[in-house]
Amino acid sequence: MKSSLCASVLVVALSVGLRAAPQSAVSSDAPRLPANVPTAQPPSETLIPGPLRSFQRMAGISTKASPEEILTLLSHEMTARGYQGAKPTEYLVQLRLYVHQARELAALAGQDSVIRVSSCEDAHPLLTLLGYQLRQGCGPETAVQVNDASRAFLTINSGFPLAQLEEALRQGKPFAVPYASSRVPVLFALNDWAEFTENVKSRSNNSDLVDVLLNSKSVARLYSALGAMDSDTAVGVRKSIGLPKLVRYANVLDFYGSHLCIRSGKVLVPGGASAEEAWAELVGVSPHSPGEFVNQLMTRDAGWLAAYFDALAHAGSDQQAYLTETRRLTRNYAALRGGDVVPGSARGVLRSGAGFWLLTTRLPLDSGHVAVPGDLQIWKGVFVHNRLSKRDREWARRAASWNDPQQMLEGLFALSRDLRRDGPVEAYLSVSEIDRRRPAQQRLSPEVARLLAEHFPRLGDQYVVFSEFPGLNDQSITAFLNAADALDNISLATVRANAIGIFQSVLGLWQILARQGQISNQDLNDSWQHAIAAFAGVQSPTQLFDAGRASLRVVMSAAAGRADLTQDELISLLAGPNLVTPAAQQTKEELAKKMSSVMDAQRLVSLDTLFALASGLGEGKANVEDLLSLATQLREFELPRPIFNRSLEDIQAGREKSDVRHTTLQTKTDMQKIIKSGTPKERAEARGRLAPFLRDTLVGLNYTYYDPPGAQMLANNAVFVRSHDYTERSSLSWEQPWSTARRVTVLGANSGGHLAGSLSGLPYALAELEQNFIVPDNVQSLIWEDFVPTLLTSAVVPRFWGVTQNELHAAALYQRAGEELVTAAAGDEKLRRVVLEILSDRMLPQRVAEIEAALREGRTEALLPRLLPGETAFLAAEFRRRHPAETEPGSATAKELDSLVRDYPAEAGWDRIAADFGVPHPALAHTYARELLNVKPLPMFMGYSSRLMAECWDSNNLYWARLADEQGYPPVMLNRLAPELTHRMVERLFATNLEDWMAVPRAMRETGDEFRQGKLVPLPKSAAPLLH
Amino acid sequence: MLTRLRQPLLLLWLVSFVFPAFPPAVGGRVEAQQQAEKPMLRVEVNLVQLNVAVTDSKGHYVTGLRPSDFAISEDSIGQKIASFGEGNEPQMTVDPTTGEVRPEPNQTVLAGANVFVLFDTSNYMYHSFALAQDAIADFVKSLDSPERVAFYSYSRNLYRAAALTSDREQVLRGVRSTVAGDQPALYNALLLTLRDAGQFPGRKVLVIFSNGPDEASMVTPEDIGELAQSTGVPIYVVSTRHAAIDPVSAAIFRQMSSATGGRAYFTRSWHDQRIAFDSIRDDVAHLYALSYYPQPNPNRGWRAIKVTLHGDAGKKYRIRTRSGYRPQPFHFSKEPAPSP
Repeated sequence: MKSSLCASVLVVALSVGLRAAPQSAVSSDAPRLPANVPTAQPPSETLIPGPLRSFQRMAGISTKASPEEILTLLSHEMTARGYQGAKPTEYLVQLRLYVHQARELAALAGQDSVIRVSSCEDAHPLLTLLGYQLRQGCGPETAVQVNDASRAFLTINSGFPLAQLEEALRQGKPFAVPYASSRVPVLFALNDWAEFTENVKSRSNNSDLVDVLLNSKSVARLYSALGAMDSDTAVGVRKSIGLPKLVRYANVLDFYGSHLCIRSGKVLVPGGASAEEAWAELVGVSPHSPGEFVNQLMTRDAGWLAAYFDALAHAGSDQQAYLTETRRLTRNYAALRGGDVVPGSARGVLRSGAGFWLLTTRLPLDSGHVAVPGDLQIWKGVFVHNRLSKRDREWARRAASWNDPQQMLEGLFALSRDLRRDGPVEAYLSVSEIDRRRPAQQRLSPEVARLLAEHFPRLGDQYVVFSEFPGLNDQSITAFLNAADALDNISLATVRANAIGIFQSVLGLWQILARQGQISNQDLNDSWQHAIAAFAGVQSPTQLFDAGRASLRVVMSAAAGRADLTQDELISLLAGPNLVTPAAQQTKEELAKKMSSVMDAQRLVSLDTLFALASGLGEGKANVEDLLSLATQLREFELPRPIFNRSLEDIQAGREKSDVRHTTLQTKTDMQKIIKSGTPKERAEARGRLAPFLRDTLVGLNYTYYDPPGAQMLANNAVFVRSHDYTERSSLSWEQPWSTARRVTVLGANSGGHLAGSLSGLPYALAELEQNFIVPDNVQSLIWEDFVPTLLTSAVVPRFWGVTQNELHAAALYQRAGEELVTAAAGDEKLRRVVLEILSDRMLPQRVAEIEAALREGRTEALLPRLLPGETAFLAAEFRRRHPAETEPGSATAKELDSLVRDYPAEAGWDRIAADFGVPHPALAHTYARELLNVKPLPMFMGYSSRLMAECWDSNNLYWARLADEQGYPPVMLNRLAPELTHRMVERLFATNLEDWMAVPRAMRETGDEFRQGKLVPLPKSAAPLLH
Repeated sequence: MLTRLRQPLLLLWLVSFVFPAFPPAVGGRVEAQQQAEKPMLRVEVNLVQLNVAVTDSKGHYVTGLRPSDFAISEDSIGQKIASFGEGNEPQMTVDPTTGEVRPEPNQTVLAGANVFVLFDTSNYMYHSFALAQDAIADFVKSLDSPERVAFYSYSRNLYRAAALTSDREQVLRGVRSTVAGDQPALYNALLLTLRDAGQFPGRKVLVIFSNGPDEASMVTPEDIGELAQSTGVPIYVVSTRHAAIDPVSAAIFRQMSSATGGRAYFTRSWHDQRIAFDSIRDDVAHLYALSYYPQPNPNRGWRAIKVTLHGDAGKKYRIRTRSGYRPQPFHFSKEPAPSP
C-alpha cells in the first residue's frame, strides 16, 4: 500500500514496561521497541496475579515475549484456543483456575511479595495451596506428594519451584521465593475497558483486565484486533466508533483490521489517494469519515468487504493500482461477493478464502492489464467445464460469452472464495507463473497453455518444474504431458506405479543437476526431452527397466559427459559440481558421504548391481556365479521384524500400511532360481523384476538429496523409501501419483509415517516428517508445524556452489547499507519518508508506525535488531534503484557496495543476490526457484495454516550469508552452514501462536549470536576462512 | 549393542564437535566383503553388549556367576566373551585364553548403569500428570548411587530436561520442570532417546512412564524395537491400567519391553508403583553385562542371539536378554553426543 506511511504515535517508553514488571523473568536479551500503547493519556497498567513467567507458562505464551506483548498475545490465545463453540476449553478452564491459585499464593506472600517457609513444620499452609502434602513427616527423608491433583497440576505447570521447596524441607533449611504479581501495559487507558470489567463481574477492581479477557470471548478478540493495529488507528477507531460498538464485529476486525490505517483524519485505502473515490463508492462512505468508513467496511456483507479490502492492501503497488481502478474495484467485488454472503468471511479461528489473497498478491499483469496465458478462449473453456458447485455452474454459464480479460478476472475473483487445488483459480495462477517467467518473445503458445490448463487437475502439481526452469520450451512441456498420459495408460497397476516412480525420479535428478548448473542451459531441452522419450511405449516391466536405465543415462550424460557413471560417481555429481578449491571439494565430499550413508541405511540395491545384473541376465554366456553373487544383494533387504505375535494380529489389522505389496514383493523376488534354472528367454525377461528395485534406488537418491538437517527417518526406518506410495487411491483424491508428495500418518494407528504422491514437493514433505524429531530448547515450546518445514526447505533446496566471494560480501553489504540508511533516517526527515515508503511495501502498518516512532525518537539502537535482514537488504536495493544518484552521505558501506556493483555487476547485482539467497515459494508462487518476493507477511489461512506466512519469510539465507562473510568463511561453506544454522534456529524458535512473526527473527538472531561466539558449527581447518 | 568402545570417548567428543553435521564413524570395524569387479558390501560390526538377567524359578536374581558360566551364540555361531561385569561393579576385560576376567577394569566403562527416564507429558497423562511426576521423583531417588540418570519428557516433541548426570537434585529439578503438552509421539521420542543412549558406553536402560497411545510418531514400534535391540538398551515401561484402553499400545509395551530384555508394568494407579520401581532397580542392580566381538558372520540381516548357562545352571535358571540385533549398515551417526 503506497500510502501506508503511518504517522508517528505516542508510545510508552521502554522503561514503563520494565518498571511494570519488576519480578518478571521475561528474557530481555534483545532490545524491545515500545508496544502498541499510546501515551496520549497516562500509561496504563494492569495486574497479572503471580510471576509473569508462571502466567506465560499457563497461558501458553512464549516466555521470550515482552511484557508489552502479553495482553495482546493472551487475547489472541483466547480466540485461537480458548473456546470450543461457546464453551471454554480445558486450556481456559485451567488458566482461570491458575489465576485463582496465584491470587491465593500472592496473598500468602504478603506485603513484601515473598513466600517464606521457615522450617518444614511451617510448610503446611503453602503445601495446601500448592496441592501437596508431606510424606513421612519432617526429616532427611522428607518428600512431598500430591494431595490435590488439580491444584498440583497448576503448581507444576506454572513452574512453581517445587523441587527447590522439597530440597529445602529435606535439608531443614528455610525456603523463600519471590512471588509478586506483575504489572503489564494495557492498550489505551484501563478505564476504557471499565464497562467490560463490570459486565464480567470480576472479583476485584478495575485493574483486573485479565479477568475480562479470560471471561469474555468477544472482548478478548477485540483486544487482539486492536493490538494488531498501529496505535493511531487503534485510538482513532476507539474514539470514533467506541469499544462497545467495535466489540460487535470484533471477529471481522480481528481477521481483517491489521491493514486499517487512519492518518490525518482519513482511512488510507489500497491504491492510495487516487482510489479514494472508488472506495467511497464501494463502501458507501468516504474514507475521509474514518469512523463511518471502518464501521461500514467491517459490517457489510458478513465481513466479505473487509476481507476484500485487506487482500488488496496486501498486494503490491502495481496490483493495487490496477485492481482499484473504479469500475474494476466494484466489479471484482461484486463477483467475489456473489449473491450469497453466507457463510461469512470471519467464522472459525482461521481465515478462509486464501484464493483471493493469492490472486491479488500474485496477479500477473502484462502491459498494465491482467495477463492471459495463451488466450482467453482457453480460460473460457476451463470455466465452462468447471461445474462442481452452484457458483461454478453460474460462472460456467457466464464464461461462455466472455470477450474481455476483465470478465475472466471477475470469474477468478468469484471462484477464489472456495479455492480448490484443482480448480480454475489454481490452474490460472500456476500456468501464469510459468508464463510470466518466460521472456516476452517466448510466452506459452495457446496450444501449450491449453494443454497445461486441461491437464492441470491431474498434473498441475508437476508444473513447478516449468516455472523453475523457464528455459524448458513448449516442446519440452508437451513431451512431459504426453509421457505422463502414456504412463497413466499402462494397464498393470504395479507396473504403472513403478513406471511413474522411475519417471519422476529420473526427472527429479535432472532437476537437481539443472538447478546446480551441471546441466547447461543449452542442454536443458535436449536432455529433458530425451530423458522423457526413453519411456515411450513402456508397458511391461522389462521395457520399464530398460527405459529407466536409458533415461538415467541421458541425464548423466548431459551433466557429466558420461552415461556410464557408477552410483558413487552419480552421488558425487549430485552432491555438487567439481570446484577447484579445497573447501569446495571437502564440502562436496562430505555431502556425498552423507548421501551414501542414507542409501546404505535404506539398504537400497546399488545402481551398479542392478545394471550389472540386468546386463548379465541378457547375456547368454554370463558367469552364473557372478550373477548369483549379485542376486544375493537383492535379498539384503528385510522387512522389520513384526512386533506382534500371531495372537495379536487382530489388533494389528487396524494399522495402516503403505503400499505393502511393493515392499513384500521385493522380499519374495527369487532371482537366484531364475539364474540357475531359467531359460535364456526367462533370464532375459527377468530384468523386469529389477524394476521395483530400480525405482526405489532412484527415489532414494532424490530423498537423500533433500534430507533435511537433523533427519532421522532415512537413517532409522529402513523401509522409508520403499514405502513411498505411488498407488492410486480413489477414496483419497490427493493420494495419487502425480499430486504433491504428502505425509501419510494415521492417527492412533502406531503405523508411523511415509510419503505418498509424486516427488514434486518432496523437500517440503520430507521436512514436514522430519520436523517431529527436532528437539526444542524451551520446555514449553513445540515445533511450529507448517512454518518449520518451509524454513527447512528454504535451507535444503538452495545450494551455493555458484556464489562468489564478491557476491557473498555484497549480500552482507546490502544488509548493512540498509541498516545505515535506517540510522541516517533518524536524523533526516526527508530520508525517513523515503525509507518508510520503501519498507511499507513489505510491512504491515503497525510495524511501519513502530519504526517511524523509533526513528523520530532516535532509538535506532533498539530498532535495528528488530529489522529483518530481508527488509534491510531490500531497503538498500530499492533505495539504489529509486534514487540511483543518491549515495547515502558518509556511508562507507554504501560506497563499498557501489564500488562492488560497479566492478562486478554480474556478481553483486540485486537480481543475482535474490536468485542465490532467495527462497522457494511452492505454495505462494508455484515454484522452487529461489526468489526474494518482498511481500508483506500473509496471515494464517484455512488449508494453509502458517505455510503462506512462512514463504513470506526470506531473511534466513541472507543472514547466514552475512554471518559467513563476517566470519570469513568461503561461500561454499553455506552448503553446510545454511542447513545447520536453520536447524539450530528451529530448536530455538519459541512462538506463542501460529502468527507469532517476531518469534522468528528472535530465534534467527539468537542463533547468529551463538555462531559468532563460536558455539556452533566450527568448520574444519581445511576449510579455513578466506579473508577478503 | 553396537557400542564404540574401541575408541576413546574423548575422540568421539572431539570429532562430534568439529564435524557436528557429518561426524565420521568412529569405533568398530568395517567388515568389507569386497570381491574383484563386484560391488562392496559394507557392514558395521562392532562390539555387541548384552544385559543379562539370570533368575531362579522363584524369580530371585542369581548372583556370583563367572564369564565361564555363560555361553553366547549368534546365529548358532559360538562367541567369545570380551568383557564381563555384574550389577554395579565395573566391567572387566575377559582374557580370551582363560575365559576369566583380568584384574584390571575396563577403563572406558564407568561403574553403574546409565538410566534414561522418558516421561509422557501428553494429553493422555493430563489427569495423572502430577501423580506420575511424584512417581518418577520417587523412582529417581530410589536408584543406587553409581547410576547416572537422564530425564527427558515428550508429547509431540522431545524435551531433554536433564542430561545424563549423577546429580539427583538436578534430575529432580528437571522432573518438576515439565509441563503438560499435546499429542503423544512416543516412538519418535524413543528413537531420539535411544540414539542418545547409544553414544554412552556401559550398561544402559530406558524407563518409560506413559499411559498409553501414540498418536503422532513418524517411526513405527517395529523400528524402535529393532533399534533398542541393536543398541542393546532394555526398555522398561511403567504404566497404569488406563493404558489397557488402547489394546494396541498395551500390547506394544509388552512386546517391546520383552524383546529388549526389559519389562512392562501395569499398576492400578500411579500411587501403586512401588513394585515396579523395586523390580526395575533390582534388575539394574543385578544385570550381568557381557560383550563380544562377533565372529565372522555373512548374515547382514537379523542375527539371533542366544545366551545359555553351562551345566546344571542352564536347566535351573532362566535368562532374560535381548533376542538379537541387526547389524547397522556402514554410515555415519548424525547426532552429536549429548552432554555427559
